[in-house]
Amino acid sequence: MAAEFPLPDTEWEMTREFWAAAERGELVIPRCDACGTYNWYPASRCKSCDSEKLVWTPVTGRGRLFSWAVVRHAFLKEFAEKVPYVTGLVVLDEDPSIRLATNLIDYEAEQLKIDMPVRVVFRPLAFPGISREVIAPMFAPVEEPDV
Amino acid sequence: MGAHTNDWGHASDFENVGGEVAVVGVGEADQTKASGRSAQEIAAQAVERAIADAGLEPEEIDGLMYSGGMPPQFDEAAFHAHFGTRHSMFVSGQGGGMAWAGTAPYIAARAIREGKARHVLNVFSVAWATQRGSMLGGPGQFHAAEPFKGNLEIPFGWFPQPVYFATIARRHMYEFGTTQEQLGSIAVACRRHANLTPGAVMHRKPLSLEEYLSRPMLVDPLRVEDCCLISDGGAAFIMSSFERARDLQQPPIEVAGVGEAYSGTGTYWSQQSAFTSTPQVYSAPPAFAMAGLEPKDVDVLTLYDPFTIVALMQIEDMGFCKKGEGGPFVEGQTLHFDGGGLPYNTHGGLLSHAYVLGIAHVVELVRQLRGQAAAQVAGARVGVYGGYTGHMASTLILRRL
Repeated sequence: MAAEFPLPDTEWEMTREFWAAAERGELVIPRCDACGTYNWYPASRCKSCDSEKLVWTPVTGRGRLFSWAVVRHAFLKEFAEKVPYVTGLVVLDEDPSIRLATNLIDYEAEQLKIDMPVRVVFRPLAFPGISREVIAPMFAPVEEPDV
Repeated sequence: MGAHTNDWGHASDFENVGGEVAVVGVGEADQTKASGRSAQEIAAQAVERAIADAGLEPEEIDGLMYSGGMPPQFDEAAFHAHFGTRHSMFVSGQGGGMAWAGTAPYIAARAIREGKARHVLNVFSVAWATQRGSMLGGPGQFHAAEPFKGNLEIPFGWFPQPVYFATIARRHMYEFGTTQEQLGSIAVACRRHANLTPGAVMHRKPLSLEEYLSRPMLVDPLRVEDCCLISDGGAAFIMSSFERARDLQQPPIEVAGVGEAYSGTGTYWSQQSAFTSTPQVYSAPPAFAMAGLEPKDVDVLTLYDPFTIVALMQIEDMGFCKKGEGGPFVEGQTLHFDGGGLPYNTHGGLLSHAYVLGIAHVVELVRQLRGQAAAQVAGARVGVYGGYTGHMASTLILRRL
């Protein structure tokens, strides 16, 4: 567990590149250099061909809202000021088997629909009592859906 | 869904143990809200009652199973300290509650077959309601310490289990048209059974579907009433060879079939390709095959039910209806003990009886098949427990011959 829980531990080797990329406004996912398969969650070997050549690869940040929940109770005290908030899973256009846990932002409540197109937006994660912030990939509805 | 659904989990390859052992004794500790008791005190009460129910002496219990992964449990040292015994025992930490309440009879059957034990006790208890104030233990603790969750899920508030299963429930609603009323039907059936069951934590708290629908959302689309209790309690059951069981004081309840299966994505619910399924897809068929039975033969069903949606998915995945038809299936009185459908969690389940992680579900089945249950299903002969532990499902089929 990160010392600044519930912030991510941005130094943990398995997800360090994910957070470093978010800091510079990029969404990156490990992709196998041998067979091209995206691997999520990060692993040391490709789930498809067992290669160790996994490369953090930028993706477009376009995807669809797979599902979500409206959290009205702060199960962790650190989220007390955030409730109610919307958290859920987004699948990426590059490979819909990749699901990112994320927060939905910049939406109207009645606007949320499963499978609606969304795009990545980088915003700070901040919690009371923790001075540091971490830039994280969150998702917002796409104004004009792709046709 | 679709292309991924054929390879997202796998069943364990179990030897056929059907008919070899029987459940000969059951006992429950007092199921309560915060009580100040320790988990081991609670377990000792359940164990005493199970041994008395079987008509055995503590010295005759020569096999002990508990949850090695969830200390403190009633282990060998605790057993001997409590009963003042010192005999050697077959011991396994692969017992206890959750999925293991369903697979303990498989391990016990193997041990009994190999002559390692004659009477094997499986016990599980929690004091999570008492511990809640100190923020120790509880269902979220394991997940909070897991680094992928800590780095890729928790920062976004995708945590803990009520959030996972609200997300799953919404997807199930989208894919199959499942409704809040249908989830509510499950909660209402459990509550009615708890109202009929002395000792159930929610014994005196009725719940109608209208009341369910009027309650606020906890994690939309789930209400508090869709979620398991947090309580103090425990239970235990004793297994013996079927031959020995005939000589004991209770009618022997045969272990007819056992199955177990795992999700390939572990406890990362976010990544399971078959997002609205449980590993019961893989666990139930071999268990039914071992028993020589089919879902239509089942008289009473108990399911590990941390959330209504988990029960609904298991009902589908075990073959009681087609995938996606669980919603219409559970409407109305189908799940009620006297509804003429599929009597389900007839003690109230984790939602309304007690949150003792499934071990009381097995105890309830045994009582049903003996004809000793509070909400008794008339003429019940075949009972099934569906265990669930996120990455794992188990299926236990019991029968009164």
